[in-house]
Amino acid sequence: MQKLITLQVNGERHELAVEPDESLLQVLRNRLELVGPKKGCDSGGCGCCSVHVDGRVAYSCMMYAVGAEGREITTIEGIGSPATGLHRLQQAFIDAGAVQCGYCTCGIIMAAKQLLDTVKQPSEDQIRLAIAGNLCRCTGYAKIVDAIKLAAAQT
Amino acid sequence: MSLIGKSPARPDALDKVTGGKGYPVNVRLPGMLHGKLLRSPYPHARIRRIDTSAAAKLPGVKAVLTPADVPRRKFTPVYFVPADAGSMVQDMVIMSDTVRFAGQPVAAVAATSLRIAEEALALIEVEYEELPAIFDPEAAMQPGAPVLHAHAPNNVAVNPSMGFGDLERGFAEADHIFEGVYQSHRVHTCYMEPRVCVVDCDSQGRYTVHSSMQHLFGLRQKLAYALEIPESDVRVVKPPYIGGGFGGKLDLGYIEPVAALLSRRAGRPVRIEQMRYEDFISTARHPIKVYLKTGVKKDGTFTARYSRSILDTGAHATHGAEVINVHGAFGLLMTYRCPNAKWEGYTVYTNNMIGGGYRGYGSPQACFAAESQIDEICEKLGLDPIEFRRRNAWRQGEAHPVIPGLKLDSYGFEECLARGAERIGWKSRRKANSGSGTRRRGIGFACQPLWVSGCVGFPDIYEHSGAIVKLNPDGTADLATAAMDLGSGQITTLCQIAAEELGLPMEAVRMVQNADTTTVPFDAPSHASRVTYSAGGAVRAAATVARERLLKVAGIMLEASPEDLTVADGRVSVRGAPASRSLSVAEVAQRAESPFVQHGAQGPVPTTLEEKGTIIGLSSQAPKGNPSPAAVAFVEVEVDTETGQVDVLRAVYAHDLGRLIHPQGAEGQVEGGFQQGMGYALMENLQFDPDSGTCLTGDFLDYKIPTAMEMPRDIQSVFVETNEPTGPFGAKSLSEPCITVPAPAIANAIYNAIGVRIHELPITPEKILAALGKI
Repeated sequence: MQKLITLQVNGERHELAVEPDESLLQVLRNRLELVGPKKGCDSGGCGCCSVHVDGRVAYSCMMYAVGAEGREITTIEGIGSPATGLHRLQQAFIDAGAVQCGYCTCGIIMAAKQLLDTVKQPSEDQIRLAIAGNLCRCTGYAKIVDAIKLAAAQT
Repeated sequence: MSLIGKSPARPDALDKVTGGKGYPVNVRLPGMLHGKLLRSPYPHARIRRIDTSAAAKLPGVKAVLTPADVPRRKFTPVYFVPADAGSMVQDMVIMSDTVRFAGQPVAAVAATSLRIAEEALALIEVEYEELPAIFDPEAAMQPGAPVLHAHAPNNVAVNPSMGFGDLERGFAEADHIFEGVYQSHRVHTCYMEPRVCVVDCDSQGRYTVHSSMQHLFGLRQKLAYALEIPESDVRVVKPPYIGGGFGGKLDLGYIEPVAALLSRRAGRPVRIEQMRYEDFISTARHPIKVYLKTGVKKDGTFTARYSRSILDTGAHATHGAEVINVHGAFGLLMTYRCPNAKWEGYTVYTNNMIGGGYRGYGSPQACFAAESQIDEICEKLGLDPIEFRRRNAWRQGEAHPVIPGLKLDSYGFEECLARGAERIGWKSRRKANSGSGTRRRGIGFACQPLWVSGCVGFPDIYEHSGAIVKLNPDGTADLATAAMDLGSGQITTLCQIAAEELGLPMEAVRMVQNADTTTVPFDAPSHASRVTYSAGGAVRAAATVARERLLKVAGIMLEASPEDLTVADGRVSVRGAPASRSLSVAEVAQRAESPFVQHGAQGPVPTTLEEKGTIIGLSSQAPKGNPSPAAVAFVEVEVDTETGQVDVLRAVYAHDLGRLIHPQGAEGQVEGGFQQGMGYALMENLQFDPDSGTCLTGDFLDYKIPTAMEMPRDIQSVFVETNEPTGPFGAKSLSEPCITVPAPAIANAIYNAIGVRIHELPITPEKILAALGKI
């Protein structure tokens, strides 16, 4: 039995009929065609699906879409694009060589964004802790940490 | 050189930081159905009966598939060999009525939604006849063990051996003989993008395939072979990029042929995406048990080495038939100079999951054994481990130890040892177990003295590449190749090589998106550390052809001989002439495609027949060699003797890669390689229920890989540039040695810290505490 909900995503309102057990990730990807949040494990283990819910990072695979009603959802598409200009974290990930296969990248940028939104000059410990819920298999995280430091230095 | 050795931004990075449209997981086609596989709960069983009638009647179900519906031709799914390669074992069918591992697909459906497909699977009734299962490879080789395949009554799929010299004499000449057993375990590549495919069968029975894979042409060939159709009836589309591979997408999965057959039945495209637990049981690095016996002189010179390796290949041979050889030759037999040596390998069937390809391809297991034992020898005989390895090392200019007819033209192993040792502070290393307190530090290292830059010299393995370079009238160039970018930067490096050869700025060369097997020349896979060297060589060759044509047209325009022209930063100029006597590459490219009059700043200019014809270069070639890179990793660890916890504090890599093309990308590949190697050493482990064979580590909550918290803060790369004469701009390879060396380096560092030696991976806190006698 589908349920009618209103989702606020990247500043736009969407009226949708969703299944009660449909995850926020499924709705973002399949119904709103936002490819930034990725399905890596669908069980809250990899962080590829990370988005912001009311400004806090969340695994969108672990949240029902119906539970996201009335809350402000932000995906990577909402923080910067070639058309609107990149967020400093997006530019720093390019400059620092923090992108390899890139499948984890959008989720990690969302995790890092929450950190930089709350801590202006984070320590390396804080940076590593902030992305500890996001797995990357290509980079060993070294250049990801560099990128977050680079973005933090630009405030 | 203007671009080589610099680190321009990756062309694919902008797309990836803003969403990443190019992954195969995003492919959606009109009318697309969703496929789903039903998997066996039993590790060994015969299927007596399958009833799919209820599933087929469920509204929304458009096709159902069982073992009775698939072609019976046996194949090897491995991409990089011909389908009927003699070195491989053709022991798989698309869907068998005999189950040989828990999780093997036994039926499939395609439906209008994933939800309906899942409901349909629950309606399929399967009656199994359970058979006795065997999970231990050495037990499987014993008489009376359950037999998996009729062609292998002792469960041995292949049993290669190699050797030279006189082993008995070698051991007789030894002053000391050391014996050890080294056990490695099963780990997953953990690519982040799941294996996924969309297959569309058209009205003429021809297939278009989108898939997250490492080899276009391998997928085309293996899929066509398994379906018993001509190869040209399969068109594989090259995705702009995929979300990691590391060897785990180097074979035909169950999903591609099943999606193809479902699509043919339904007449609509079918998408199958694996759940993460399905990925965990689809591919793994094989566990190998290595028995290693080594004879040495007092001074540390090898006199004899004998080894025997038991590889658990699981339910089918697939990669296990080739991994065993690479493991033996490049891991145990030929890594160092030794006059008398023998190695025997056993690739053994069990009812475990099927092993696959994984970065290093048999070498990590061997490197753990060999490099651990060398340190044990040095400790016992009081020898310096660096001097020991240097004494037994191959030298530049010698014949290639493995590949006949080739030489080690560039070989910087000794320099790697020296520079790595200096960077980590090897001289300040304490004697083993000389610290105090409960947190003890130690330094260790390990080497991968010999490796590949591709597969030249391997009889059954494809090794050639091709490229098309085409200049556009705006002065840019399109580069088309089948070489896949798995994430490690192949797009960047190949564009950089083409730009350098063409004298264009980096951003002027673009990799063609969505090329396919009908439009680009054959290429071997992105594997075997080969892309920079082999595909890079082919790209340079194609760019050279285009450059020659560019200079010919420019020569006519500038009334100069092509030999007197140079091209740099997008301009063609006459050597020694004033700058005014030059043209932009765009002007030349326009002339080549112009009508019989070209309209420019000077007004209409008549053009000649000789000038006409798009400036384009094509190559399809095998590389000239297979130069060996060499790598050494030094690590510093801290071991907590109360908890058994091991922290890696620092890592220094020294790597002979011929020539650095893109330093930032090279560092990134090393750092990622260290993460995988460290996970292999300390924490990662695919675990299975001992009775049912069911995977117990089916998600990232149970299968732990290093996060940013566990990784060392300090990873340094030392690149030794030996300038390989056959490589593009001197380059050879980088990828795989990064991952073979961390495990033995960490084991050796742990010994240095606390004086205990662990012979079985992974080195968990429990094993440390047990070795310390604390539990």
